[in-house]
Amino acid sequence: MKRFNFCLIIAAGWICLFSSMPAGSAETQVPLGLPELTYPEANPQTQAKIALGDKLFHDQRFSSTGDVSCATCHDAGKAFTDAPLKVSEGIHKLTGTRNAPTIVNSAYFTTFFWDGRSPDLEDQALHPFTNPVEMGLKTHQPILDIVRTDSQYKKAFKNVFGKNAASITIKDVVQAIASFERTKISGNSPFDRWRYGGDADALTPRQKRGFDVFVNQGRCVSCHVIEETQALFTDNRFHNVGVGINDIQMVVSRLANEFLKAKITMSEVDIRVLTDQRTSELGRFAVTRKFDDMGSFKTSTLRNIAATAPYMHDGSLKTLRDVVKHYNNGGVTIKDDPVNDFLSGGIRPLNLTDRQIDDLTAFLESLTSPEFAVK
Amino acid sequence: MSKSLKCLIITLVSVMISAGVAFADEFTQKDVDHWQKEYMSVVEKGRSLWGSPELGTNGVACGQCHPNAANTHPETYPKFQKQLGGVIPLRQMINWCLLNPLEGQPLELDDPRMVAMEAYIMYERRGTPLAPGQH
Amino acid sequence: MKSRPITRRSFLKGMGAATVAATLPMSLVEVAFADSSENFTFAYISDSHIQHIKGSKFVRNWDRGLIRSVAETNMLRPKPDFVVFGGDLAQLGTKPELDHGAEMLSKLNYKYYCVMGEHDYYLDLGEYWSTLFGPHYYSWDHKGVHFIILNSILTHDHWTYDRWPTAKQRMNEMAGLDNPNGSPFMVGAKQRQWLKKDLAKIEKETPVVVFSHSPIQKIYKGWNFWTDDAEEVQALLRPFDAVTVVYGHVHQIQYNQIGNISFNAVMATAWPWPYPQSYSQAATYLPKLTVPMNRADPFFERDATGWQFMDIKTGRVDLNYNLYSNANRTVAYNPKTGRPEDVSYQSPDKRISPQTHY
Repeated sequence: MKRFNFCLIIAAGWICLFSSMPAGSAETQVPLGLPELTYPEANPQTQAKIALGDKLFHDQRFSSTGDVSCATCHDAGKAFTDAPLKVSEGIHKLTGTRNAPTIVNSAYFTTFFWDGRSPDLEDQALHPFTNPVEMGLKTHQPILDIVRTDSQYKKAFKNVFGKNAASITIKDVVQAIASFERTKISGNSPFDRWRYGGDADALTPRQKRGFDVFVNQGRCVSCHVIEETQALFTDNRFHNVGVGINDIQMVVSRLANEFLKAKITMSEVDIRVLTDQRTSELGRFAVTRKFDDMGSFKTSTLRNIAATAPYMHDGSLKTLRDVVKHYNNGGVTIKDDPVNDFLSGGIRPLNLTDRQIDDLTAFLESLTSPEFAVK
Repeated sequence: MSKSLKCLIITLVSVMISAGVAFADEFTQKDVDHWQKEYMSVVEKGRSLWGSPELGTNGVACGQCHPNAANTHPETYPKFQKQLGGVIPLRQMINWCLLNPLEGQPLELDDPRMVAMEAYIMYERRGTPLAPGQH
Repeated sequence: MKSRPITRRSFLKGMGAATVAATLPMSLVEVAFADSSENFTFAYISDSHIQHIKGSKFVRNWDRGLIRSVAETNMLRPKPDFVVFGGDLAQLGTKPELDHGAEMLSKLNYKYYCVMGEHDYYLDLGEYWSTLFGPHYYSWDHKGVHFIILNSILTHDHWTYDRWPTAKQRMNEMAGLDNPNGSPFMVGAKQRQWLKKDLAKIEKETPVVVFSHSPIQKIYKGWNFWTDDAEEVQALLRPFDAVTVVYGHVHQIQYNQIGNISFNAVMATAWPWPYPQSYSQAATYLPKLTVPMNRADPFFERDATGWQFMDIKTGRVDLNYNLYSNANRTVAYNPKTGRPEDVSYQSPDKRISPQTHY
C-alpha cells in the first residue's frame, strides 16, 4: 500500500512537471533584470529548431568564398560581435560601413540593423547573405542547394519543419536561425544583482555614483531605459546623436535629395547603406525618408557594452570613456565642434566633471553578464 | 476632592476661558482664516518662483511652459515616470525640470522653495480628484 | 516608435505611408492637382522665442528648434514659393534676440515674410523689428491669392503708453502668458480701417489668406488666446468665398470654421503650450473641431514642436504639420463638409491615447 502511494506521488509529480511546461517548449529562462520574453506565434521555439539554427548560424558555406558565416561577425567568444573591428569584414575581408551589433538580447528588439530596416530577426537574417560586402551571394539559391542536399540538414529540416528536402524554403532557414538567436539572452550582471536582486554590495561606490549620473545629470536613462522591475537599456527608438553625420552636415541636404531622386527601392537600401559611406550616414532617413529620421540610428542596448568595443554605428568611438565624452560635449566628438542641425532633442551638453565621467564609465562596466565578463 | 479645591479649579478654568485660551480640539473661523493666510503666503511665494528666471541658469521660468501650472498633473503623482525609470513623487519631477529645461541645480526635497512651488502647483489644481499613477 | 510589437504588416504599412503625399513633403509620388498652375505651397515657421541669456549665449533649446526647422524647410521638395514667419521670433524683443533670430532665418533659401508677435513688439513697439522685417501690416497678391499680414497683438492705448514706467517692464508684463496684469490682444480700429480699404479692391471670388499672430477668435482670455475685436475683423472678411486665417501664439494644433472663414493654428518651434482645458480653474473654449496634438514628452526637447507647410488647393489651405518625434499631421479643408479636418484622426473612433489632454 505504501509503495503504491509512493508510486502515485511520483507519477503525480511527473504529470505536474509536464503539464506546467508548454507543449514542445524550449523557451529560455529569463535571467535577473530582464522582462518576460514573447516569442512569435509563427515561429515557436523547439530544441531541435534551436540546434538547427545554431548549425546554420555557423555554416561558412553560405558565402560566395566559403569562409564567412553569421558567426564571423557575431562571434560567441566576443559577446557575439567582432570586437575590436570598427566595421565588419565580409568576403575577401571587404569592409562595410557599420559596426556589428551584438546578438545578445536582440530578442527584445522591435527592429533590426542600426537603421531598423528589418522588422524581425527572421527578416534580418535574409540580408547579410546577399550583401556584396558580407556573404556576397547573388541570391539565396546556393543556401537552398546546400540544405536540400546535405544529409544532416535534410534530416534536421524534416524533423523540425516536417518538410521534404525539395520543399525547404529560405523562410525555414531564417526561422531556425532566429530561434537560435532568441536563446542568446543575458542578465544577472552586477547591476542587476544590485538593483533587482537586493545585493547592496554588488556595485562599487564608484559604480553607484555612476548610476546616479546615468539617471540624472547624464540623462542616459531617457533612451537607455531602466525600469522598476527590469532594464532593457534601449527604448527601441531612433536618435541622431551626432555621430558620423557631423562629417557630412554641410552636404546633408544635397545628399538627401540625391538619395530620393535616385529612387532607391527598399531592397536596394540594404546594399547602399553598407557600400556607400555617405548614404550610411543618413541613418534611418534612408529607410523611412522622413526628415525626423535624418541621421538617426537605433539606441543600442548597453548590456555587455564593456565587451563590445568599439562603439556607435560606425565604430568610431574606441572606448566607453570616449562615448561618455561625446555625449558630454552635447553630440560632438571634439568639444566645441559645430553640432548638426538634425540633432535629437534629447542631446545637449551635460557639464559632467571628470570624476562623474569616470563614475559613469565604471557604471557601464557593471552591465556585463557573467558569461561575457571581459578578461 | 474637597469642596474648596473644586471651587478653585472651576474658578481657574473660567478665568482661562475668558482669557481666550481654547482647548486642543477647539478652533474658530478666525483661526482658520488666519492659517489660510499663512498658507497663501507660501502659495504666493510659489507663484513668484514660478515666473522667476532665477531658478535656473538660462533665464527660463516654469511659467513659460506651464502657465497657471497647467500640464503639471500633480494629482497623478507618485507615478511611474518612464523617462526616469521608476516611480517618483512630484518633487522629483520638479527637480528634473530645474536640472534640464532650466539648466539649473536640483533643490533639496524639503527646501522651502520646493515646498512653495508644490503649494502653488496644488493650489492651481485644487478640486481635481486624485488619480495616482495615471500616465 | 511605440512599444507595441511591430508585425511585418504594420511595419510595411508604415513604410508605405512614408511615401504618401499627404503627410510627407519629400515624396516619390507626384501630387496631382486639377490645374497645377493654380496650386503652390508655402512654408510656415513660428514662435521661436529666441531668448538671450547674456553676451553671446542664448537659450540653446529654442535656438535648436529654429535651426532645425530652417534646415528642414530648405530640404522641402517641391520647393515652397515663400516662407512666412508667424511671430514671436524673440522672447523679450531685445536687439540681440532679434538679430540672432534674423541670422538664423537668413539661412532660408527662400523669400520670407514676417508677422509681428507680442514678444517682438512690446519692448520698443516694433521699431527695431521693422528695420529687419518691414511694415507691421500689409498685403500682397500671389498666383491669384490675396495675402494679408495683420499686427493682431496690439492692445489698449492706455496699457501700451501709460500704464508702465519702463519699456522693459511693459515687455516683461506682456511676456507672462498667464499674467493677470496683461491686456487682451486686438487688431484695433486703425488697422481695421486699413483692412476694409484693402479688401474693397478684391473680388469676392479671390481666395483670401490672413496671417495673424493672435487667433482672430475668442478662445481663452486668461492666456490671451484671444482677439478682442475678433467679430469685427471676421465681419470684414465675411463677403469673400474662401478665407483662411493662419495664426500662431498658441503653440499647439487648433483649427476651426466660423461661417466662411477657416482658422488654422501653427506649431511653435520652441515649446508647446497646454490646451486651455488643462487649466482646471477656468472655463475655456477650444474649437470642438480640433483634434489635439500628441501630448508632449518633455524629455525630448523637440517633442510637440514643429513647423508646417501649406498647400493652396483652389484657394483653400491644407496644412501639413511637420512634427518632430511624432507622426506628421495634415489638416485639410474638406469641400464636402466645408471645414478643415484632420485627414487621419477627425472621426472620434480614429483618436489615439496621446491625443488625450487633461
